[in-house]
Amino acid sequence: MIRKTGAILLIALLAFTAAACGGSGSTNGSNASPSAGSASPSGSESSAAASPSASASAEKVKLRIYAQYADEDTKLPYDYAVAELKKEMPNVELELDIQAQDDGQKLKTYAATGNLPDIYQAGLDIINTFKQSGNIQQLDEYADKFGFKDAMQPSAMNTLVTDDGHIYAFPYAGNEMILLYYNKELFEKFGVKVPTTFDEWKTAVETFKKNGIIPLSMFAKEKWPDVALYDVFASRLDPAGITKLDKGQAKASDPAYKTAAEKLAELVKAGLLAKGATNMNYDQAAALFYEGKAAMFLNGQWEIEASTKALGDKVAWMFYPGMDAAGYESSKLVFSGGGGPGGYAVNPKSEHVELAAQVAAFMSRKYAEFKYTERGTPIVATKVDKPIVKQYPPMMQELAKVIPDMKSTAFAWGLSNPKFKAAIEDASQSLLAGTSAEQFVKEVDKAIGQ
Amino acid sequence: MNKFLGNRAAVAVFILPALLLYSVIVFWPLLQTLYRSLFQWDGLNPGTFLFLDNYKELFQDELFRTSVYNGLIFAVIIAVFQIGVGTLLAFGVADAYVKGRKWLRISFFIPVVLSVTVVCQLWMAVYNGEYGLLNRLFQAFGMSYRQDWLSDPDKAIYAIAMVNAWHFMGYHFALLFAAVKSIPEHFLEAARIDGASKWKAHWLITVPLLRETYRFCLVLAVTGGLSAFAQMFIMTGGGPGTSTYTLTYLMYRSAFRINEFGYGSASAVVLVIECLIVTLLINRLVARDRIVY
Repeated sequence: MIRKTGAILLIALLAFTAAACGGSGSTNGSNASPSAGSASPSGSESSAAASPSASASAEKVKLRIYAQYADEDTKLPYDYAVAELKKEMPNVELELDIQAQDDGQKLKTYAATGNLPDIYQAGLDIINTFKQSGNIQQLDEYADKFGFKDAMQPSAMNTLVTDDGHIYAFPYAGNEMILLYYNKELFEKFGVKVPTTFDEWKTAVETFKKNGIIPLSMFAKEKWPDVALYDVFASRLDPAGITKLDKGQAKASDPAYKTAAEKLAELVKAGLLAKGATNMNYDQAAALFYEGKAAMFLNGQWEIEASTKALGDKVAWMFYPGMDAAGYESSKLVFSGGGGPGGYAVNPKSEHVELAAQVAAFMSRKYAEFKYTERGTPIVATKVDKPIVKQYPPMMQELAKVIPDMKSTAFAWGLSNPKFKAAIEDASQSLLAGTSAEQFVKEVDKAIGQ
Repeated sequence: MNKFLGNRAAVAVFILPALLLYSVIVFWPLLQTLYRSLFQWDGLNPGTFLFLDNYKELFQDELFRTSVYNGLIFAVIIAVFQIGVGTLLAFGVADAYVKGRKWLRISFFIPVVLSVTVVCQLWMAVYNGEYGLLNRLFQAFGMSYRQDWLSDPDKAIYAIAMVNAWHFMGYHFALLFAAVKSIPEHFLEAARIDGASKWKAHWLITVPLLRETYRFCLVLAVTGGLSAFAQMFIMTGGGPGTSTYTLTYLMYRSAFRINEFGYGSASAVVLVIECLIVTLLINRLVARDRIVY
């Protein structure tokens, strides 16, 4: 008996150790810069104390905020927003809790244990879960009161209002999109025409392959780019792309979606990707493109700055190739990607709900303002009336021309059905690793059926 | 001794702290997992009671079959490699004629000390399809057998299993080496006088006397293999696609990627049961009698 109990204990311990390893593994990467996190709030504290406008009547309020603060693209806008907040509301002090990249686990644990910060960054998944459990404040009233609704870009209203018609978070990111970048020099050197149809794309792949150049570099270890590439194909045949599958309005076995998988599988077979692409991270894949070893690269429009820095005027983006010349023209302005409800949300159990909502709205607008004026991106949720400080790179200027008429689908992280999301992520990666289109259709349809 | 064991208060004082700790961090979560596996639960809101529906769904899930299959492959590979190679090396290092024994002993154990992440990064570089050491080796020997080790849905699980096998071989080596050293010298001496060769003496005397250690090593290797997670999490992310899923990975995916904690709990429960059965079987079949010298 003792031996048996001993065995059970041992196994249980092993199983739990394994689970614990997983948990810590996923948070490791996200806390790359924890030391820097505490610097900004404490730094601004002193300036507030010195500010003469801090009247005695305004009571000092401390709010906890759970926000992204990982790299230049998230730190600088956040710091700017905090500094602006100090000027506008000197009595408010923010205590930053850096967001972990853990699929929302930390936030959910906070919610389950009643430790939710006053303001937190929420995506669609968190909004849906917290809506049910009463952990997210409906912000309709505050959106009007603080003028947030009026400040929205009309084209980005989908990032403010959720499917049920209510507002739960103040967004700052607009509708972002996937771009197909290419190295102009390599295309010229090997006499390859920038493809406008799938057939031309295949010819291009074959030519590059023959000359020892990787046709398309991708960081396919992360699964969302894999879904995006499938969506690039699918959205040529049905403008709604993967969103229709997500909502259960179409099946992967429908002709358009099946053909998309087949066309992609055909290109993969022709040698579209580098060896071991499904095991490459961003740094590895980007290096291949920057060093001229890969002719094309797939990433969001946020890649424009880094690519321009690395390749100068040799890099450009192309409209996705279509089924045929007519299809190319008709679906030219449909981009894979998009945006969804998300941004700074407010905890309804906060002691200062209204103030938190005001701060959240303010922070979102300032965050967007900085990205617009200083980070070279016109793709933000709210209107910005300040002049641009940093000129947009040429690729962004090109993009800005088509943005007003653009239609978009969704990124993998913006999908609303988590089961479908996991299934299409896994299936797309398999597809890129060489499994058949039939298998892809089967696996995706299984998840849609449920 | 009898008098001491008769003193219940003393026994309780010594056992209780450990027992309490174990109950709180092992038994209680285990019972919770069992309970939660009967619900559809997102980890936050109140769940819906489903009774055994999660299990029914699980047994029909193709992913579940892949996971169990991969767990078995993993367990078999690491058990055979770690115990097999560990035994040979233990025999070698225990032999008085082998030079540099102390140095060898330490170097076999070194990988065990490294963290899983470090080892995985190392092997990711070795396995790299473009410039990896392994493919370069094949190239150097003039062989065209060059593989995309971690990105091939059929081969990836074997490649990953070998990483774990290499990583923890030293641990089994240390256990086996200690056991070999504890076997009284005169058994082998007698065999030698009777004219047995070194291999024969080991085969007929040392190996049978190592039964109990083998049992322990087997339990460790097999349960470790069935619940493998860290290597696939770091090296392939369960991919390409779902080809390197194990039950623990399935649990992780269900709970943290899909928000189905109930379903994840169900796969955790199946994993615990699976390990339990395997452990009972090993205990039943290997070394049933205690060896007393």
